[in-house]
Amino acid sequence: MTSAVPGVRRIEHVMGMPIIVDVRDEGVGGGGLDEAFAWLRSVDARFSTYKPDSEICRIDRGELPLEDAHADVRAVLARCEELRRETGGYFDLRAGPDGALDPSGLVKGWAVDGAAGILEAAGATSYAVNAGGDIRLRGGALPDERWRIGIQHPLERDRIAAVVESRDLAVATSGAYERGEHVFDPHTGRPPTGVLSVTITGPDLATADAYATAALAMGRRGAQWTATLDGYEGMTILTGGRVLFTQGFPAAG
Amino acid sequence: MKRALTAALGAATIALPAANAVAAVEHSAAAATAPGKTVAKKTVVKKTVSGSAVNADRWGTVQITVTVQKTTTVVKGVKKVTRKIVDIGGTYSYHTDRSQYIMSQALPQLRQEALQSLSANVSMVSGATYTSQAFIGSLQQAIAKANQV
Repeated sequence: MTSAVPGVRRIEHVMGMPIIVDVRDEGVGGGGLDEAFAWLRSVDARFSTYKPDSEICRIDRGELPLEDAHADVRAVLARCEELRRETGGYFDLRAGPDGALDPSGLVKGWAVDGAAGILEAAGATSYAVNAGGDIRLRGGALPDERWRIGIQHPLERDRIAAVVESRDLAVATSGAYERGEHVFDPHTGRPPTGVLSVTITGPDLATADAYATAALAMGRRGAQWTATLDGYEGMTILTGGRVLFTQGFPAAG
Repeated sequence: MKRALTAALGAATIALPAANAVAAVEHSAAAATAPGKTVAKKTVVKKTVSGSAVNADRWGTVQITVTVQKTTTVVKGVKKVTRKIVDIGGTYSYHTDRSQYIMSQALPQLRQEALQSLSANVSMVSGATYTSQAFIGSLQQAIAKANQV
C-alpha cells in the first residue's frame, strides 16, 4: 500500500457475514460487483438455514422432495456427500448437535467461487473475494504484484500467525476460536481438542473450506491428514503454538 | 502424487513479532522522500475520509474514518506528493445495550488489529472474526479514498 489503490471495492452483509469484493482492474466498474452481490444474495435465499422459506429449510422439514429442488441445491448436497466420504465422515453436513441439515460449510466457499467466475466474466483479472475470512484471490493486489493474506493468530486477536502470498489461490481457515465456527467431531459429537486452527489453500474455495473443517474436527491427527491431500496444502496450529506446514504451503518468506 | 507424511510436515512455532505500537502508517505516493535543499513550495493539507458503514454481524455497523495528511512539495518545477495516515477512527451503531457494550470494547481492539494488518502489508485476513472483517473492509475503502485525496 505504497501508492494509490486502483479499481473498485465493496462490502455487503450477506449470508450473516460481511463479504468484501475487491477488484483492482481499472475498467471493470460497478456492474460486475452488482452482479456478484446479486448472485450471493440469491444463494443466501436458496441455501439459508435461518430463512424458513429457503429450499434447505423446506427439504429439512420434509416439505420439498430432493428431486424437486433447484439443480444448484442438488449439486451442493451431492458434493457434501462426496466430501463426507472423502474425509472419513469428518466433514458432515449433519454434524451439529441438533442433526439439522446444514450445508453452509460448503455453501460459503461455493458461493464465493461462483462470484469469482462472475467477476472474471466481467473482465476482472486481479481481484479478491473475502467471505467472513474465507478468501479467493487472483492476480495481484495492484499495484502489488501479488495478494498477501494474513492468517489470523488463534490466540491473540491483533496478531497474524503467518502470511500467504499468491496470484491464484483459495484460502480457508477453520478455528476453534471463532464464534459461529461450530465444528464438532461427528464421531464423538464433541468439539475437537489439541488444535487451535487449520488453514487450507488450493484451487477451489468450497473444497478448501470443507477440508479445513474436517481437519479441525479430526483434532491432532488432522495435520497428518492434510499432508495426504492432492492439490491442497495445510497449516495447522496446535494448542501450545506449534505450527505444522505441509511441504508446499505458500507461506511468504 | 501422495507425499510422505512425516517429510511433508514442516514444523515451526508461531513467531510473535516484537511489540511495536504502530501509531501511524506511512503511505508515500512518491518513491523519493528527500525533498532536496531548495524547497520552493510546500503545502500540507489534512483531510478526513470514511469507508462505507459495514454491518458487523449482529452487533451493529462500523464505519472507519482515516485522517490523511497530504504534503505537496515543488522543487524546481518537480512536484512530489506524500500522504501519511495520521489517525484511524470510527463510528458504530448498535442494536441493543449489549451490543453497544461489545462494540465499545471491540473498537479499540479492532483498531489495533487493523494497524497490525497494515504494518504486515496484508490486504485481507483469513480466519479473523466477522467483526474484524467488517472493520478491515471499511478501513481498506477509506485508505483507497485517502490515496486519492
